[in-house]
Amino acid sequence: MNGRARWTATSPRLRPPPVLLAILFSTLVGGALVLVSGHNPLRAYAEIVEGSLSLDSLPDTLNWATPLVGMTLVAAIPLRGGMLNLGGDGQLVIGGLIGALLPLVLPGPGALVSIAALAAAAFGAGLYATLAAWGEARHGVPMLISSLLLSYPAVGVTSYLARFPFRDGATGLPQTAMVPTEARLHALSGALSAGSLLIAAIAVAAVFVDRRTVAGYELRMRGKNPRFAGYGGVRLERQAIGTMFASGAIAGLVGAIVVLGSQFRFIDGALLTPAYTWSGLMAALLVRGEPAGAILAGLFFAALQTGGFAMQRETSVPRVLTLVLQAIVILFLAMRQGVGRRSP
Amino acid sequence: MPEIEALGIVKRYGGLVANDGVDLSVDRGEIHGVMGENGAGKTTLMSVLFGLQAPDAGEIRLRGAAVRFRSPLDAMAAGMGMVHQSFKLFASLNVWENIVYGAEPTRGPFIDRRAARAQVAALAERYRLAVDPDAVVGDLSVGVRQRVEILKALYRDARVLILDEPTAVLTPQEGDALFGVLRRLAAGGRTVLLVTHKLHEALAITDRVTILRDGRTVASLRTAETNPREIIRAMTGRNVNLNVEKGPPHVGAPRLTAVDLIIAGAAARPAVDRVSLSVRAGEIVGIAGVAGNGQNELVEALVGLRRPDGGRVEICGVDVKAANVAAHRAAGLAYIPEDRAAVGSALPASAADNLAMGFQRAAPLARGPFVIPAAFAERARALIRRYAIRIPSERVAVGTLSGGNLQKVVVARELSHEAPVLIAEQPTRGLDIGATETIHERLMAERDSGRAVLLVSAELSEILALSDRVLVMFEGRILADLPQERADEESVGLLMAGRAQEAA
Repeated sequence: MNGRARWTATSPRLRPPPVLLAILFSTLVGGALVLVSGHNPLRAYAEIVEGSLSLDSLPDTLNWATPLVGMTLVAAIPLRGGMLNLGGDGQLVIGGLIGALLPLVLPGPGALVSIAALAAAAFGAGLYATLAAWGEARHGVPMLISSLLLSYPAVGVTSYLARFPFRDGATGLPQTAMVPTEARLHALSGALSAGSLLIAAIAVAAVFVDRRTVAGYELRMRGKNPRFAGYGGVRLERQAIGTMFASGAIAGLVGAIVVLGSQFRFIDGALLTPAYTWSGLMAALLVRGEPAGAILAGLFFAALQTGGFAMQRETSVPRVLTLVLQAIVILFLAMRQGVGRRSP
Repeated sequence: MPEIEALGIVKRYGGLVANDGVDLSVDRGEIHGVMGENGAGKTTLMSVLFGLQAPDAGEIRLRGAAVRFRSPLDAMAAGMGMVHQSFKLFASLNVWENIVYGAEPTRGPFIDRRAARAQVAALAERYRLAVDPDAVVGDLSVGVRQRVEILKALYRDARVLILDEPTAVLTPQEGDALFGVLRRLAAGGRTVLLVTHKLHEALAITDRVTILRDGRTVASLRTAETNPREIIRAMTGRNVNLNVEKGPPHVGAPRLTAVDLIIAGAAARPAVDRVSLSVRAGEIVGIAGVAGNGQNELVEALVGLRRPDGGRVEICGVDVKAANVAAHRAAGLAYIPEDRAAVGSALPASAADNLAMGFQRAAPLARGPFVIPAAFAERARALIRRYAIRIPSERVAVGTLSGGNLQKVVVARELSHEAPVLIAEQPTRGLDIGATETIHERLMAERDSGRAVLLVSAELSEILALSDRVLVMFEGRILADLPQERADEESVGLLMAGRAQEAA
């Protein structure tokens, strides 16, 4: 049985046509918006495509896609099992701060230091994410709520740490000191770093785990019917904790990759402004957490957003349009699939 | 002219037919019982009558005129009232506020609190439903809350009152008080529809009973002219050829043992009340009983889905303390659950994925942490062939299958576990004769191969045909442990109705 056949067999409602239809509809609505605002929609769309997929802009797109696809997996992995991790922001900044601080205090060869920083960032953020799963298992706090609420203290505390105890005295800005050059991630091409490769590897691993491992099978079954999984002997609480750890660890990794690969320090707010968490969540929802589809959706959104910058530069249509497009895609899809409608 | 009639009601949920041409006719001033096993379609029928669900086919007539309720508001406006199993009350508001909610007496733009309170008090007085109009609902006992629900319906002048399993949450004394109220309502010309699966209640209070089975009306009986056996047969019996080939059992050591199991229930009485049982290798032990007498809770504790409040469970000599299915299965348990769609399968998943559950961690389906998709497919194809499951391919989602074929998927998977203990809960519910016979033959084969089989069924004929011993469950207790030769329809039927003395 090949992978393609299994994908269509196990997820009959996720076949491409509805997605393409939703993209088509949202393109039309977006075009109408551009038209009403007095610009040429064809030109705006041409700029989006040119600004994201041309040879010159492709590295920018991939650079933008690195954290976005990472955060897509953060949302998609729990969603595959019917769980929601809305705490990506908190896990992202925890990973970012650990990734920024560890190289400042850890001696040793640069490569080892950056590996240690990435690992610690993943572990710390993963642990933080399991708090939500533990809260649901032990105290019945819905993960949907706790994961989101736990984000706020994480964001607040990391912000405080970057503004006060670990503030970079040299600049006086709310940011930590620069990470030593040796501990930074290697640049591959332009703005692209080794972190992109790492996220790509994780993306491939996520698809593999989903399709070819016991853990992936059990998570998929939970997503389709948690009572069935429990009845079949899957330890649901343990599974929730493991899943949230994996999800949070990827978020932490994304934070550390951005810090070590492009910003070289933890800048208060810099990880959250692009709203990777929420774009990633939307991409994951688009395909209900199916990893391969989620990765494609994440890449699509990354291209859309990168193209949005180009469009804003060239046509003065604000790049917010691309975020509107993203949202409309989801809305159309939700309408077609009846997301949240009670199934019998 | 009947007060309310349902003609040929059909209601489907996806592939599941909950009502398959139900007829019901209730006269004015009558207390009419609607009986049937769990899943027979009682609650669905009531939902249709009260406008909560639109029927896919069929007609409802109120006093001879066809009506079409788009929502419960339509039904209430037409003089229907319903007391649901779970009450629909605001716990933080007081009694009169709950009762007048949505139909408040007003003075100008304001609620006329004094009039509202007085009306509620008068209503309670008139029907002798003792409640304090000013009490906060959250502080009231379950029985009193139910009175509030009834008053709510009467306040809207409900001519037809539907009560869905009203005594399930009541103590016997509260239940008696409720019946007094219902008799007064009926004497006053109101019509009462009482949904229940408790035989003694139906016999005690109703004028007539309509019995549903598998979504169809199978009997409509005058209570005074019927008897418990006739009702039980109508609820459970199917015209199935139950000539199961059965040799003497070759009984071995105990494989499944429960000692003094206690499970708390919603009512004052525990759902399972100090149940001890033992199933030995090579025998089928049947648990007979009208549905809702603690069988579900007992099975949940035996399989690890529910932590018992007392007592213990042993599977193959292992005292399984952990309340999780994995531990129970690891000790040697396979389980065919009552609800094949909600528990026994993942409807959107493929047959291959469904048939793999429980085998996914070991060879041949897995090698270390990896699954082998080809082995999933191969295993599924083999089981589909062996159990003659009608499905186009193993990649098709099982949600598209008929009930019988879905049940075959569940049975095929659980039997292929080859675990020493098998618990089969309503294994043939809703199946046609052919599928039923196949599954009965399978269960006998399992017994003959030395498995310990616990069969839970509300269908007496099935229990009698298959079991080597019959345990009768009534109100959470096991009333009798009868060897096969002493278990007949007469004695077991009486025990199912809770009449231990007459049966003895």
